[in-house]
Amino acid sequence: MSAGASNPEYVNARVRSRRASLFSDEDYRKLIRMGPSEIARFMEETEYEREINALGTRFSGVDLIEYALNRNLAKHFDDLLDWSEGRLYDLIARYLRKFDVWNLKTIIRGVYTDSDAEEIQTDLIRAGDLDDRTIDRLLEVDEIEDVIDVLYGTIYYEPLSVAYEEFEETGALVPLENALDREFFEHLLEGVSRPNASEPQEGPEALYIEFLQAEIDFRNARNALRLARSGADLDPAAYYIEGGVLFDETELSRLVTDYDELVDHIGENKRYGDRLSGAMDRLRDADSLIQFEHALDAALLEYADTLSSIYPTSVSAVLSYILAKEREVENIRAIARGREVGLTESEIEEELVIL
Amino acid sequence: MIETLPELAHIVLQNGEAVEEAPFLTDVGAAALAVGLASLAAGYAERGIGAAAVGAIAEDDDMFVPGIVMTVLPETLVIFAIVAIFLVQ
Repeated sequence: MSAGASNPEYVNARVRSRRASLFSDEDYRKLIRMGPSEIARFMEETEYEREINALGTRFSGVDLIEYALNRNLAKHFDDLLDWSEGRLYDLIARYLRKFDVWNLKTIIRGVYTDSDAEEIQTDLIRAGDLDDRTIDRLLEVDEIEDVIDVLYGTIYYEPLSVAYEEFEETGALVPLENALDREFFEHLLEGVSRPNASEPQEGPEALYIEFLQAEIDFRNARNALRLARSGADLDPAAYYIEGGVLFDETELSRLVTDYDELVDHIGENKRYGDRLSGAMDRLRDADSLIQFEHALDAALLEYADTLSSIYPTSVSAVLSYILAKEREVENIRAIARGREVGLTESEIEEELVIL
Repeated sequence: MIETLPELAHIVLQNGEAVEEAPFLTDVGAAALAVGLASLAAGYAERGIGAAAVGAIAEDDDMFVPGIVMTVLPETLVIFAIVAIFLVQ
């Protein structure tokens, strides 16, 4: 946490400049036709140059691309935290905890499967709020219980300790991962949004809340659709994240059993109905859940863009950049992996999320 | 309070006479104040623009000239305020 005035102007100028240098449609079209080594060479000529060069001696092919992407992502998001001050820092750090959660999940999974530290390390994205020392210490432990002990003093300690008992009973990682996710989302809205009380109705703050609610809603929708699709006998309430406006907990439990009704419910919502209408149609006809998830991602991305142009100097632009950067990394990874396993161009194109 | 009112009024009136001899604020003084306030406002406006300009320059050196031009734009406020000086002279 840092004190003092925030500096949205400075951060916004830098973020918008970086936003502009992300890959365009045309770059993607070029990338789709390349093989893994060509993609690496192409990336060397763009802003990934330093990472590709640093890792080029140790890795090759798709691994090189993937690690370079992760490292670049971490670098950019660390920069965001470096630049920002005051309230802006708090808001950004809160959102970037997403990567803490990702790292912790990766570490826990790694410990669970007895992978060695080196292997886990390459999959981490060091962009979050946890400092490098803690993460390094986490990499050295052998037991999940010790992971939790190392986290003593962070916000994750308590929920993980509670979830650990459940983990001991069942032996499944789901409770631990759920606990992390929940902790993240519950902290997101902390201090900006209070239930039924003085939530700001307009201004940048209100849009920040709206964006986060959209993200939570989409997450809930995605989980619900997956549950409905798979027909698995799981308690939907266990996956429910508080804070959204689309579902409440009882609604979700009811809707999961009926796929068509769930789709209708999302389509009828005032806030998202129009925005997602294209995706909803596709969801109704097609069987592909992936298509819909991509449509959700694209919708969220577009939504973040709209928000960032309403209040030019607010945190919205930063959030929209974070999302866009993540998208880019995922797109490039999808292209590289797709080429590696020999998907056709049109198949890869379906995997991409391009606005 | 009320008993002291006449006395107070007397003092105030005396002061009123004094003001006519050496006014609290002359025309030129007021104009100077206007310029000062305008400068303050320009400075405040430049604060944000300057921060954004430095950010843009840090990302891309070519933004140096546009950055400077944008940063000094609010300076026009001060130029308008200087007009007030010529008006009162």
